[in-house]
Amino acid sequence: MSDLLSSLGIDWRLFSAQLINFSILLLILYKFAYKPVLKMLDDRTGKIEKGLADAEESQKKLKEIEQKEKEVLIEAKKQAKEIIKKAEDQAQVNKEDFVKIAQEESDKIVEKAKKVAGEEKEKMVADVKSKISVLVATAVEKIVDEKMNDTKDAQIINEVIS
Amino acid sequence: MDVTISLVPETIMEIGEFPITNTFLMTVVVSVGIIIGSFIFSKRQKLVPRGFQNVAEYVLESLLGLVDGVTGNRKQSRRFFPIVATIFIFVIFSNWIGLLPGMGTVGVEQIHHGEEILVSFIRSPSADLNMTAAIAIFAVIAAQVMGIAAIGMRKYAGKFFVSPFKKPYFIGTFVGLLEIISEFAKMISFSFRLFGNIFAGEVLLLVMLALVPLFVPLPFLFLEVFVGFIQALVFAMLTLVFFKMAAEAH
Repeated sequence: MSDLLSSLGIDWRLFSAQLINFSILLLILYKFAYKPVLKMLDDRTGKIEKGLADAEESQKKLKEIEQKEKEVLIEAKKQAKEIIKKAEDQAQVNKEDFVKIAQEESDKIVEKAKKVAGEEKEKMVADVKSKISVLVATAVEKIVDEKMNDTKDAQIINEVIS
Repeated sequence: MDVTISLVPETIMEIGEFPITNTFLMTVVVSVGIIIGSFIFSKRQKLVPRGFQNVAEYVLESLLGLVDGVTGNRKQSRRFFPIVATIFIFVIFSNWIGLLPGMGTVGVEQIHHGEEILVSFIRSPSADLNMTAAIAIFAVIAAQVMGIAAIGMRKYAGKFFVSPFKKPYFIGTFVGLLEIISEFAKMISFSFRLFGNIFAGEVLLLVMLALVPLFVPLPFLFLEVFVGFIQALVFAMLTLVFFKMAAEAH
């Protein structure tokens, strides 16, 4: 057996040296080549998975946002309609108010004008009366040619006119 | 020009009791080369690979893909990958270093059996049974360890030692015995397959170079490059398959 092995070149010293050499190689390669590569591959896989997850997430978010946007738009339209309606109502009310106020105002003005006109008329009448009384007094004076005292004179004129 | 062919690697010198053969010298050269390569690889690692890092990463990734293909399980791949990859890398460079120019021509003169012959420095480590047997035994022992780690000591031992009083009775025991023998057969087939292929390649190249030094050996050189790759792949793949088989419960 040992003859066979030695004729094949098997030498336990060389054999164990080869075994040790291979083990050292395995350890060093494990430390400096496999570990970093495996780690890097893991990182890469992690990154890709994260990217995919992120993409999905953002897709979902986008959909949500679109949904929200639609809702907001509908809401906004509704509100706008409401506001317009309110404004129209308000305008209607305002219009009525304005008309009423204008009416009142014009009524007032007319009344005032009437009042002023009445006063004016009375004033004029009084004025005319006083003027007429003076006129009559002069005329009567002239006609009667006598002077009465002032009080009596006024009394008489008043009696005449009224 | 006469060609001397020796099945046994030639001793170049001796350090104390330890004989330094040309194959061992080349083993050291290959190992140091690989170690330096791995240092460079780990030092220059960047997120965006380029040049050497790219090649190394590509090789390791494809090897990992190969392991994944057999195990179908990343966790198991991680356990098998270092040994399988180391075998592949070490064996492929061992195979290829024997193809360097200078094989059979650069060396020291020695007297053997009263004749002066040239002992070449360059001889593929794979053309040395010490190296192939060492890796083969390492691989087979590693397979046992993987099996025990994966399915437990009791179950794993149950593959080999079957009680003759259980269901298939003596057949089961006999199959267990065969399994034990096959483990040893694996070691032998592993070591002799690689040794035989690479040794034959070297002999073929030596003979062709001796017959016609120019051009004619070229196709054989290419053939040997291919054989070197295939043998490394076969060694690694078989190791991987044995790991997987060992890690599988019956």
